[in-house]
Amino acid sequence: MILVWAAEAVLFGLVVAGLLAERPAALAATGGAIVAAIALVRLAPGLRAALARAFAQHPTAAFLGGALGALALPLALSASPYWTFVATLALLYITIGQGLNLQVGAAGLINLAGAAFAGLGGYSVGLLTVAAGWPAWLALLVGPWVAVGVGMLLFFPILKTRGHYLALVTIAFVFIFNILMNNLEFTGGPQGIKNIPTLRLFGYAFTTRPALLGVTLPAHANFYYAALLMAGLTTWIVRRLYDSWLGLALNTLRDDEIAAKCCGVSITRGKLLAFSIGNLFIGLGGAFYAVMVGFVSPPDFDFGYSLVMLSVIIIGGVDSIPGVILGACLLLPLPERFRFLHEYRLLLYGIVIVVMLLYRPQGLWPAAVRRYR
Amino acid sequence: MSLLETRGLTVRFGGLVALDGVSVAVEEGETVGVIGPNGSGKTTFFNALTGLYAAAAGEVRFQGRSLVGLEPHVIARLGIARTFQSSRLCLNLSVYDNVLIGMHARRRTGLWDLVVRRRHFLAEMRDAIERASHLLGLFNSELAARGFERVGQLPQIDRRRVEICRALASQPRLLLLDEPSAGMNPEETAELMKDLQIVREEMPGLSVVIIEHDMFVIEGVSRRVVAFNYGRKIAEGPFAAVAANEEVREAYLGRETARA
Repeated sequence: MILVWAAEAVLFGLVVAGLLAERPAALAATGGAIVAAIALVRLAPGLRAALARAFAQHPTAAFLGGALGALALPLALSASPYWTFVATLALLYITIGQGLNLQVGAAGLINLAGAAFAGLGGYSVGLLTVAAGWPAWLALLVGPWVAVGVGMLLFFPILKTRGHYLALVTIAFVFIFNILMNNLEFTGGPQGIKNIPTLRLFGYAFTTRPALLGVTLPAHANFYYAALLMAGLTTWIVRRLYDSWLGLALNTLRDDEIAAKCCGVSITRGKLLAFSIGNLFIGLGGAFYAVMVGFVSPPDFDFGYSLVMLSVIIIGGVDSIPGVILGACLLLPLPERFRFLHEYRLLLYGIVIVVMLLYRPQGLWPAAVRRYR
Repeated sequence: MSLLETRGLTVRFGGLVALDGVSVAVEEGETVGVIGPNGSGKTTFFNALTGLYAAAAGEVRFQGRSLVGLEPHVIARLGIARTFQSSRLCLNLSVYDNVLIGMHARRRTGLWDLVVRRRHFLAEMRDAIERASHLLGLFNSELAARGFERVGQLPQIDRRRVEICRALASQPRLLLLDEPSAGMNPEETAELMKDLQIVREEMPGLSVVIIEHDMFVIEGVSRRVVAFNYGRKIAEGPFAAVAANEEVREAYLGRETARA
């Protein structure tokens, strides 16, 4: 148990140091420490086995340690509103990634319209609050269902296509969505929707700077904790769906549609469920983004973000729940850390995806066998 | 009334008549063998029964109900299960997963149970896993112990067993076996025959239709044999009679032509 917590404490320290290090010397030292830690775990089989055993024996302790780390992260990042914001984005991508993975990973529906479904959630929040005057929390709850509804309309042409053709249909949908948002009057055209009111729960505005354990945190910490709750709930729900006859039926129809049919699985119903539940969480991520940033515009939901969402899954682990968490935690902060490479960011994403697909298609944290627990 | 009855069942692909007016009846608890050279329409017959191919003409009745126009998953739920000539297991999923999917139509818990009332789902799943390991244990006691391993790690004969277990898991009334001995050596085929015997003893009410090229298997398990050629039924009866039938011999071996 001690070993589990010690390992998690080291990981936490390295993450915080990695995010906050500013001077080149400090950055180099942290980078060196991270490389050394990875090398130590990979090259010392005794340590690796001991760690694996400790984590397998104490799953509850490991979970509590991880949860504590996630709760404590804003305290460690309190000096930097920027990194608190990036950490919140990573949590949003966990929510979105779990939804998308239900489609891409579990059911094999290659959905490249993630950005459009997130955008539907985001724009719904914008319209419901700014144009219709709803409170933000209510819009946040209703917005994702717009993504589900539009997804259902798109579903019937999707059902007739598979594989690459499905990917093409969804790519087309992102571009249609963007063109519409750019040209429609009521969505504000290229200007988007401004001044989305912030979240307010029981009189507490999310723009207030919270104080925790005597530390005054940046206002973004409010959203961090809300996003942590959302990502946690999403993961909890999705895990239960995976580890059930639904996850099994989706995997079977992904691997072999004919076999699934002959076992009594309705392909239409299975795909519709995966697509709709997935879009619900993708839309939720987009809706939350709109409330957090207070502003939505077409470039916030363009095709590039669909690729980021898909990369989270491919790098983390296709059909793997912990994989999505790992993928989001790596893929969101890392490019921000190397901002000076900004111009080449999409290029790097592309290279990373190609390398992963060639050498480790199952992802960094592959899906485990279903245990029905 | 027969359990399954086809009358004039016809399947066409464009101009090709793959199945031409086939009439076959299968009684409850009976095992029927289907033989015929490659391309004679045996698998097409199965695909038409299970709804994968649409019938161009004719009738299929199962327990008195017409199956024509029904979707495959609906037909499966009515009680027809099958295996495939080239195994259609999900190699990346566990042994249990591959058997449990066979019980998909029998589940009683809904989405709400999966997420919120998890206890109901878990109780159902415990029963299902128990049934799955019982079925696997019938054939090979080791298989049940390897339930959480991926099917891809199993040898060929065990994969075939898993596929048969998947079909049996749905508690079907009719089991369609499409060339279960395909790709097996003689020892494995002998084991397979024992397995089929076990199925017969465990489920006496189950009707089985089996496509086979291996005549020893056909002779060993089925009382009645139907022979196909060019999509038509050319003979039907006890194995010995069908094997001696002139037209059947001709279909397999070709016609003896008089040499000038």
